[in-house]
Amino acid sequence: MKASLRRMLWISRITFLEAVRQRFFAFLLVLSAAMVLSSVSFRVFDFGHGELKFIADFGFGGMFFFGSVLAVVMTAQLFFSEIDNRTALTLLAKPLSRAEFLLGKFCGAWAVLGVFVVVLAALQGTVLWAREQELLSLADPAAKLAPAFNLEGLLQLVLLQWLRLGVVISIVLAISALARTFLFAVVVGALAVVAGQLQWIAQDAFLRPTDSQLYAAFLWVSTRVIPNLQQFNLADALVLGSTGVDDGAILVVVLSGLAYLLAYLTLGSLIFRRREI
Amino acid sequence: MSSAISVRHLTKDFRIGIRGLKLRAVDDVSLEIPRGQVFGLLGPNGCGKSTTLKIVLGLVSATAGEISILGEPSATSSARRRTGFLPEAPYFHKFLSGRELVRYCAQLSGVADADVDAAVEDALGLAAMTEAADRTIGTYSKGMLQRIGFAQAVVHDPELVILDEPTAGVDPVGSAAIGRMIHAMREKGKTVVLCSHLLGQVEQVCDRVAIMDRGKLVLEGAVDDVLARRDRHVMTVEAMTPAARAAAEAALAAHGAKVASVTHPRRSLEDLFRELVTGSRDA
Ligand SMILES: Nc1ncnc2c1ncn2[C@@H]1O[C@H](COP(=O)(O)OP(=O)(O)OP(=O)(O)O)[C@@H](O)[C@H]1O
Ligand SMILES: [Mg+2]
Repeated sequence: MKASLRRMLWISRITFLEAVRQRFFAFLLVLSAAMVLSSVSFRVFDFGHGELKFIADFGFGGMFFFGSVLAVVMTAQLFFSEIDNRTALTLLAKPLSRAEFLLGKFCGAWAVLGVFVVVLAALQGTVLWAREQELLSLADPAAKLAPAFNLEGLLQLVLLQWLRLGVVISIVLAISALARTFLFAVVVGALAVVAGQLQWIAQDAFLRPTDSQLYAAFLWVSTRVIPNLQQFNLADALVLGSTGVDDGAILVVVLSGLAYLLAYLTLGSLIFRRREI
Repeated sequence: MSSAISVRHLTKDFRIGIRGLKLRAVDDVSLEIPRGQVFGLLGPNGCGKSTTLKIVLGLVSATAGEISILGEPSATSSARRRTGFLPEAPYFHKFLSGRELVRYCAQLSGVADADVDAAVEDALGLAAMTEAADRTIGTYSKGMLQRIGFAQAVVHDPELVILDEPTAGVDPVGSAAIGRMIHAMREKGKTVVLCSHLLGQVEQVCDRVAIMDRGKLVLEGAVDDVLARRDRHVMTVEAMTPAARAAAEAALAAHGAKVASVTHPRRSLEDLFRELVTGSRDA
């Protein structure tokens, strides 16, 4: 058990190193950071809490979008670079199980996205807090309405976004384990993310009565297989805690996220076990 | 004691194309590779050598047949712990230095934490890579890649080392160095299995050879046995005269034996070289 953990940690360590050395990671990080910082210039709309909300939507939107791109493309790339360069051949000839290899890849990629989310959230939090102070000092009556920036909410958001990206990584790894080419894995992975964002539509439809058994079955299967990725996006509710989010609701989201993550990792390991290197 | 590798009726079909067309890469191969010897697997390109080795290591699944390594069913991680592998045309994470790669492989192979440093330095020393160990692998030449590949394969002191074309793309001096590494492993009582197209070197370093052709095993045996021609004899005669030769031929003919050819034995260039040169000043 300890030996297995050690092997996994080494795989994730090298995976992490490989990922942060890539220009792609640096590029997306800089792009998202630029997006967050550029939101500082949105002063034209001086409408109090509306402005803070706008800044939050814009910045978290960037983090959310580029995070997804990074999770899909980078994960597939990290997987296929080992397969295509045949480094996997050397590694898997060691006393290393396929599951350990895949889990190691997962942890490495997840750690990279952890860095991504934390850096951007810290930046975004600073921007929001600074603007809030500024609005308050203006003593503008509208500013009094501004929902308070909520640090605890920001931490919860970081955790939720990171978990969401973890679910995406596990899906992309399962697809990569099956896919023959990098391109296929990226395209199908991206489709899966889009499907996950739209999953709530199927969920809604499922709740409505229908005559067709087949349609109902299709909805039932798709709402179970595809995780609802939209439910992790509680950005402004959490960070600009005017509405407030119930702790119980967050717990449900976290548990369902973890369940999907584990399910996809298990599936990926089973598929990868049969793969010829 | 069980064989180092035992392969029974191994067959491998690759599915190629979408219409389910099959390519038989390995066709009913049975092999017993004894321990403590150097075993050469030979054959033309595409005859299934690498595929056989990959199946032995559990990297590719067999269509049919049974394989065991060191008495354990292959593809178990405990069998792989006792085995080292250098794949053909090896390629490693090029942002790591040689030493980092070997350390990484030591960790994956279950070398105890306290022994990692020593094991890494030993392996680098054996592969003559100590000097270049801190350069990144991206800057290595083909010969260095093969040698660092050798180091990562032996870092956990395996009982069985499998080398797929360790001398491909390596110059004669480098090939000789790899030959010496193989010899050193043998001296330590390890089993070495290698594929190579350098038949001259195989003849020198291997105790046994097997030859494959189109997926089938066509010959297997000890090098001395398979190369000796038991139906012919060579007599080395000193102070031969024409009269002596005629008398000898007559005597042989009386017993139904026939002299097929009479030549002068040839010494090898290496022997001549060693006779003339007393030794390197560096040695
Ligand atoms: N993944 C694969 N899919 C389909 N065919 C394959 C695959 N791997 C190998 N083959 C085929 O199997 C046959 C044996 O290949 P293998 O690599 O074992 O040959 P080899 O004896 O190692 O040759 P070489 O001396 O060139 O290294 C070849 O015809 C090859 O095209
Ligand atoms: Mg080969």
